[in-house]
Amino acid sequence: MLKELVEFMARALVDSPELVKVSEIEGEQTSVLELRVAKEDLGKVIGKQGRTAHAMRTILSAASTKIRKRAVLEIIE
Amino acid sequence: MPTLEIEGKSLEDAINLACEEYHLPREMLEIEILSKGSSGIFGIVGARKAKIRVAPKQLPLTAAADRGKAILTEILTFVELPTVVEAESRDDHVFLNIISNGSGLLIGKRGKTLNALQYLVSKILHRELDAPISVVVDTEDYRTKRETSLTELAHQLSTKVKRSNRPLTTGPMNSQDRRIIHLALKEDQEVRTKSKGEGNLRRVVIYPAKRGKKSPESAAEAASDS
Repeated sequence: MLKELVEFMARALVDSPELVKVSEIEGEQTSVLELRVAKEDLGKVIGKQGRTAHAMRTILSAASTKIRKRAVLEIIE
Repeated sequence: MPTLEIEGKSLEDAINLACEEYHLPREMLEIEILSKGSSGIFGIVGARKAKIRVAPKQLPLTAAADRGKAILTEILTFVELPTVVEAESRDDHVFLNIISNGSGLLIGKRGKTLNALQYLVSKILHRELDAPISVVVDTEDYRTKRETSLTELAHQLSTKVKRSNRPLTTGPMNSQDRRIIHLALKEDQEVRTKSKGEGNLRRVVIYPAKRGKKSPESAAEAASDS
Protein backbone atom coordinates (compact mmCIF):
# COMPACT_ATOMS: atom_id res chain seq x y z
CA MET A 1 0.00 0.00 0.00
CA LEU A 2 2.72 2.48 0.97
CA LYS A 3 4.67 1.60 -2.12
CA GLU A 4 1.64 2.22 -4.35
CA LEU A 5 1.02 5.52 -2.61
CA VAL A 6 4.52 6.79 -3.35
CA GLU A 7 4.28 5.49 -6.90
CA PHE A 8 1.01 7.27 -7.52
CA MET A 9 2.18 10.59 -6.08
CA ALA A 10 5.49 10.50 -7.95
CA ARG A 11 3.92 9.48 -11.28
CA ALA A 12 1.48 12.35 -11.08
CA LEU A 13 4.32 14.83 -10.64
CA VAL A 14 6.87 13.86 -13.26
CA ASP A 15 7.22 14.09 -17.03
CA SER A 16 8.26 10.47 -17.45
CA PRO A 17 5.93 8.42 -15.25
CA GLU A 18 7.16 5.19 -16.84
CA LEU A 19 10.57 5.76 -15.29
CA VAL A 20 9.26 6.01 -11.74
CA LYS A 21 10.47 3.07 -9.68
CA VAL A 22 9.80 2.46 -6.02
CA SER A 23 11.33 -0.34 -4.02
CA GLU A 24 10.27 -1.14 -0.51
CA ILE A 25 12.69 -2.50 2.06
CA GLU A 26 10.54 -3.79 4.87
CA GLY A 27 11.83 -3.91 8.38
CA GLU A 28 10.06 -5.01 11.52
CA GLN A 29 8.71 -1.59 12.27
CA THR A 30 10.20 0.65 9.68
CA SER A 31 9.87 0.45 5.95
CA VAL A 32 12.28 2.28 3.73
CA LEU A 33 10.85 3.33 0.39
CA GLU A 34 13.36 4.14 -2.27
CA LEU A 35 12.10 6.35 -5.04
CA ARG A 36 13.89 6.53 -8.35
CA VAL A 37 12.88 8.87 -11.13
CA ALA A 38 14.37 10.09 -14.41
CA LYS A 39 17.24 12.49 -13.87
CA GLU A 40 15.26 15.35 -15.40
CA ASP A 41 12.38 14.71 -13.02
CA LEU A 42 14.41 14.74 -9.85
CA GLY A 43 13.66 18.40 -9.23
CA LYS A 44 9.93 17.81 -9.70
CA VAL A 45 9.68 15.24 -6.91
CA ILE A 46 11.86 17.30 -4.61
CA GLY A 47 10.34 20.70 -5.32
CA LYS A 48 11.38 24.18 -4.32
CA GLN A 49 13.20 24.00 -0.98
CA GLY A 50 12.24 20.32 -0.83
CA ARG A 51 8.60 21.26 -0.41
CA THR A 52 7.17 18.53 -2.61
CA ALA A 53 9.36 15.85 -1.02
CA HIS A 54 8.29 17.14 2.37
CA ALA A 55 4.61 16.94 1.45
CA MET A 56 5.01 13.39 0.15
CA ARG A 57 6.78 12.36 3.36
CA THR A 58 4.04 13.91 5.49
CA ILE A 59 1.31 12.05 3.61
CA LEU A 60 3.37 8.87 3.75
CA SER A 61 3.74 9.09 7.50
CA ALA A 62 0.00 9.65 7.92
CA ALA A 63 -0.66 6.54 5.84
CA SER A 64 1.87 4.48 7.77
CA THR A 65 0.60 5.63 11.15
CA LYS A 66 -2.73 4.10 10.24
CA ILE A 67 -1.13 0.66 9.81
CA ARG A 68 1.06 1.18 12.89
CA LYS A 69 4.34 1.37 11.06
CA ARG A 70 6.99 3.88 10.24
CA ALA A 71 8.02 4.72 6.74
CA VAL A 72 11.00 6.62 5.42
CA LEU A 73 11.04 8.02 1.92
CA GLU A 74 14.43 8.17 0.26
CA ILE A 75 14.82 9.83 -3.07
CA ILE A 76 17.68 8.11 -4.88
CA GLU A 77 19.70 10.08 -7.35
CA MET B 1 -7.64 26.51 -20.34
CA PRO B 2 -6.04 27.03 -23.70
CA THR B 3 -7.33 26.00 -27.10
CA LEU B 4 -5.27 23.27 -28.69
CA GLU B 5 -4.83 22.01 -32.21
CA ILE B 6 -4.50 18.28 -32.31
CA GLU B 7 -3.62 15.93 -35.14
CA GLY B 8 -4.44 12.28 -35.40
CA LYS B 9 -4.51 9.47 -37.91
CA SER B 10 -8.26 9.76 -38.12
CA LEU B 11 -10.86 12.11 -36.76
CA GLU B 12 -11.72 9.61 -34.05
CA ASP B 13 -8.08 9.29 -33.13
CA ALA B 14 -7.59 13.05 -32.85
CA ILE B 15 -10.66 13.40 -30.61
CA ASN B 16 -9.45 10.63 -28.35
CA LEU B 17 -6.09 12.33 -28.04
CA ALA B 18 -7.84 15.57 -27.14
CA CYS B 19 -9.87 13.86 -24.41
CA GLU B 20 -6.70 12.44 -22.94
CA GLU B 21 -4.95 15.78 -23.09
CA TYR B 22 -7.67 17.54 -21.10
CA HIS B 23 -8.70 14.58 -18.96
CA LEU B 24 -12.26 15.24 -20.06
CA PRO B 25 -14.89 13.14 -21.80
CA ARG B 26 -15.80 13.99 -25.37
CA GLU B 27 -19.07 15.74 -24.47
CA MET B 28 -17.13 18.29 -22.45
CA LEU B 29 -15.04 19.45 -25.36
CA GLU B 30 -15.74 22.07 -27.98
CA ILE B 31 -14.43 20.49 -31.18
CA GLU B 32 -13.88 22.27 -34.45
CA ILE B 33 -12.80 20.15 -37.40
CA LEU B 34 -9.99 21.73 -39.38
CA SER B 35 -9.25 18.80 -41.65
CA LYS B 36 -11.04 15.50 -41.82
CA GLY B 37 -8.03 13.61 -42.97
CA SER B 38 -8.07 10.78 -45.46
CA SER B 39 -6.32 7.52 -45.60
CA GLY B 40 -5.40 8.08 -49.27
CA ILE B 41 -5.23 5.31 -51.79
CA PHE B 42 -4.48 2.01 -50.06
CA GLY B 43 -3.50 4.06 -47.06
CA ILE B 44 -0.24 5.14 -48.69
CA VAL B 45 -0.64 7.77 -51.34
CA GLY B 46 -2.12 11.07 -50.29
CA ALA B 47 -2.75 10.16 -46.67
CA ARG B 48 -3.65 13.25 -44.70
CA LYS B 49 -3.85 13.57 -40.99
CA ALA B 50 -7.05 14.70 -39.36
CA LYS B 51 -6.76 17.98 -37.52
CA ILE B 52 -9.08 19.48 -34.95
CA ARG B 53 -9.16 22.54 -32.78
CA VAL B 54 -10.29 21.80 -29.25
CA ALA B 55 -11.24 23.81 -26.20
CA PRO B 56 -12.94 22.62 -23.05
CA LYS B 57 -16.64 23.44 -22.96
CA GLN B 58 -17.33 23.67 -19.28
CA LEU B 59 -15.96 26.22 -16.89
CA PRO B 60 -12.37 25.33 -16.09
CA LEU B 61 -13.10 25.54 -12.40
CA THR B 62 -15.80 22.87 -12.54
CA ALA B 63 -13.48 20.64 -14.51
CA ALA B 64 -10.70 21.34 -12.03
CA ALA B 65 -12.99 20.50 -9.13
CA ASP B 66 -13.83 17.13 -10.66
CA ARG B 67 -10.23 16.36 -11.45
CA GLY B 68 -9.05 17.52 -8.02
CA LYS B 69 -11.62 15.27 -6.40
CA ALA B 70 -10.37 12.32 -8.45
CA ILE B 71 -6.73 12.97 -7.52
CA LEU B 72 -7.45 13.38 -3.83
CA THR B 73 -9.68 10.31 -3.77
CA GLU B 74 -6.94 8.28 -5.38
CA ILE B 75 -4.30 9.41 -2.86
CA LEU B 76 -6.66 8.61 -0.01
CA THR B 77 -7.35 5.07 -1.23
CA PHE B 78 -3.81 4.27 -0.15
CA VAL B 79 -4.44 5.46 3.37
CA GLU B 80 -6.47 2.74 5.00
CA LEU B 81 -9.25 4.96 6.11
CA PRO B 82 -12.79 5.05 4.78
CA THR B 83 -13.13 8.46 3.14
CA VAL B 84 -15.42 10.28 0.76
CA VAL B 85 -14.39 13.46 -1.02
CA GLU B 86 -16.83 16.21 -1.90
CA ALA B 87 -15.86 18.77 -4.51
CA GLU B 88 -17.23 22.23 -5.03
CA SER B 89 -16.06 25.07 -7.22
CA ARG B 90 -16.25 28.35 -5.37
CA ASP B 91 -15.72 31.85 -6.81
CA ASP B 92 -11.97 31.68 -7.22
CA HIS B 93 -10.94 28.30 -5.91
CA VAL B 94 -11.72 24.63 -5.78
CA PHE B 95 -12.92 23.37 -2.43
CA LEU B 96 -12.41 19.71 -1.57
CA ASN B 97 -13.89 18.36 1.62
CA ILE B 98 -12.87 14.99 3.01
CA ILE B 99 -15.51 13.16 4.99
CA SER B 100 -13.90 10.63 7.27
CA ASN B 101 -14.26 9.08 10.70
CA GLY B 102 -12.97 12.18 12.46
CA SER B 103 -9.79 10.77 13.91
CA GLY B 104 -7.76 13.79 12.97
CA LEU B 105 -5.24 11.59 11.19
CA LEU B 106 -5.71 13.53 7.99
CA ILE B 107 -5.26 16.86 9.75
CA GLY B 108 -2.01 16.16 11.55
CA LYS B 109 -0.25 18.47 13.96
CA ARG B 110 -1.41 22.01 13.21
CA GLY B 111 -2.88 20.87 9.92
CA LYS B 112 0.41 19.49 8.65
CA THR B 113 -1.08 16.51 6.83
CA LEU B 114 -4.01 18.49 5.50
CA ASN B 115 -1.66 21.13 4.12
CA ALA B 116 0.55 18.48 2.54
CA LEU B 117 -2.49 16.97 0.80
CA GLN B 118 -3.61 20.40 -0.34
CA TYR B 119 -0.17 21.27 -1.67
CA LEU B 120 0.23 18.02 -3.55
CA VAL B 121 -3.26 18.04 -5.08
CA SER B 122 -2.88 21.61 -6.29
CA LYS B 123 0.58 20.87 -7.65
CA ILE B 124 -0.68 17.88 -9.63
CA LEU B 125 -3.68 19.87 -10.82
CA HIS B 126 -1.49 22.75 -12.06
CA ARG B 127 0.58 20.31 -14.02
CA GLU B 128 -2.34 18.55 -15.62
CA LEU B 129 -4.50 21.52 -16.44
CA ASP B 130 -1.72 24.00 -17.03
CA ALA B 131 -3.57 26.68 -15.13
CA PRO B 132 -2.93 28.10 -11.66
CA ILE B 133 -6.07 27.08 -9.82
CA SER B 134 -6.08 27.40 -6.08
CA VAL B 135 -7.23 24.37 -4.17
CA VAL B 136 -8.43 24.22 -0.58
CA VAL B 137 -8.58 20.82 1.09
CA ASP B 138 -10.60 20.61 4.28
CA THR B 139 -11.91 18.01 6.67
CA GLU B 140 -14.06 18.19 9.77
CA ASP B 141 -14.37 21.94 9.33
CA TYR B 142 -10.71 22.37 10.27
CA ARG B 143 -10.09 25.48 8.13
CA THR B 144 -12.94 27.43 9.71
CA LYS B 145 -11.90 26.41 13.22
CA ARG B 146 -8.30 27.38 12.50
CA GLU B 147 -9.40 30.75 11.19
CA THR B 148 -11.47 31.41 14.29
CA SER B 149 -8.64 30.52 16.65
CA LEU B 150 -6.06 32.53 14.69
CA THR B 151 -8.34 35.56 14.61
CA GLU B 152 -8.73 35.23 18.36
CA LEU B 153 -4.95 34.97 18.76
CA ALA B 154 -4.50 38.09 16.63
CA HIS B 155 -6.86 40.08 18.81
CA GLN B 156 -5.19 38.90 22.01
CA LEU B 157 -1.76 39.84 20.70
CA SER B 158 -2.93 43.24 19.51
CA THR B 159 -4.40 44.01 22.94
CA LYS B 160 -1.00 43.21 24.48
CA VAL B 161 0.80 45.35 21.92
CA LYS B 162 -1.45 48.31 22.61
CA ARG B 163 -1.01 47.96 26.37
CA SER B 164 2.78 47.62 26.31
CA ASN B 165 3.40 49.75 23.24
CA ARG B 166 5.99 47.21 22.09
CA PRO B 167 5.92 44.97 19.03
CA LEU B 168 5.08 41.26 19.41
CA THR B 169 5.80 38.35 17.11
CA THR B 170 3.71 35.28 16.39
CA GLY B 171 5.22 31.83 15.98
CA PRO B 172 6.32 30.63 12.55
CA MET B 173 3.34 30.34 10.21
CA ASN B 174 2.57 29.44 6.65
CA SER B 175 1.22 32.02 4.23
CA GLN B 176 -2.44 31.15 4.75
CA ASP B 177 -2.17 31.52 8.50
CA ARG B 178 -0.24 34.78 8.21
CA ARG B 179 -2.89 36.11 5.88
CA ILE B 180 -5.58 35.39 8.47
CA ILE B 181 -3.60 37.38 11.08
CA HIS B 182 -3.07 40.33 8.72
CA LEU B 183 -6.73 40.39 7.78
CA ALA B 184 -7.89 40.12 11.39
CA LEU B 185 -5.95 43.28 12.29
CA LYS B 186 -6.44 45.17 9.06
CA GLU B 187 -9.21 47.35 10.46
CA ASP B 188 -7.41 48.02 13.72
CA GLN B 189 -6.00 51.56 13.51
CA GLU B 190 -3.76 51.21 16.55
CA VAL B 191 -1.54 48.41 15.31
CA ARG B 192 0.08 47.47 12.03
CA THR B 193 1.29 44.07 10.91
CA LYS B 194 4.24 42.92 8.85
CA SER B 195 5.66 39.53 7.87
CA LYS B 196 9.27 38.86 8.73
CA GLY B 197 11.76 36.05 8.27
CA GLU B 198 12.53 33.55 5.56
CA GLY B 199 10.79 30.44 4.28
CA ASN B 200 9.35 28.20 6.95
CA LEU B 201 10.36 30.59 9.70
CA ARG B 202 8.34 33.52 8.42
CA ARG B 203 6.23 35.09 11.15
CA VAL B 204 3.99 38.06 11.67
CA VAL B 205 5.15 41.01 13.73
CA ILE B 206 2.48 43.23 15.24
CA TYR B 207 3.69 46.80 15.83
CA PRO B 208 1.97 49.59 17.68
CA ALA B 209 1.01 52.16 15.04
CA LYS B 210 2.74 55.51 15.21
CA ARG B 211 0.41 58.09 16.58
CA GLY B 212 -1.66 59.96 14.06
CA LYS B 213 -1.01 57.77 11.07
CA LYS B 214 -1.91 54.33 9.96
CA SER B 215 0.31 52.87 7.32
CA PRO B 216 -1.39 51.15 4.41
CA GLU B 217 1.21 48.39 4.64
CA SER B 218 -0.97 45.84 6.40
CA ALA B 219 -3.40 45.59 3.54
CA ALA B 220 -0.57 45.06 1.10
CA GLU B 221 0.94 42.42 3.37
CA ALA B 222 -2.29 40.48 3.46
CA ALA B 223 -2.39 40.51 -0.31
CA SER B 224 1.18 39.26 -0.62
CA ASP B 225 0.57 36.50 1.94
CA SER B 226 -2.39 35.08 0.10
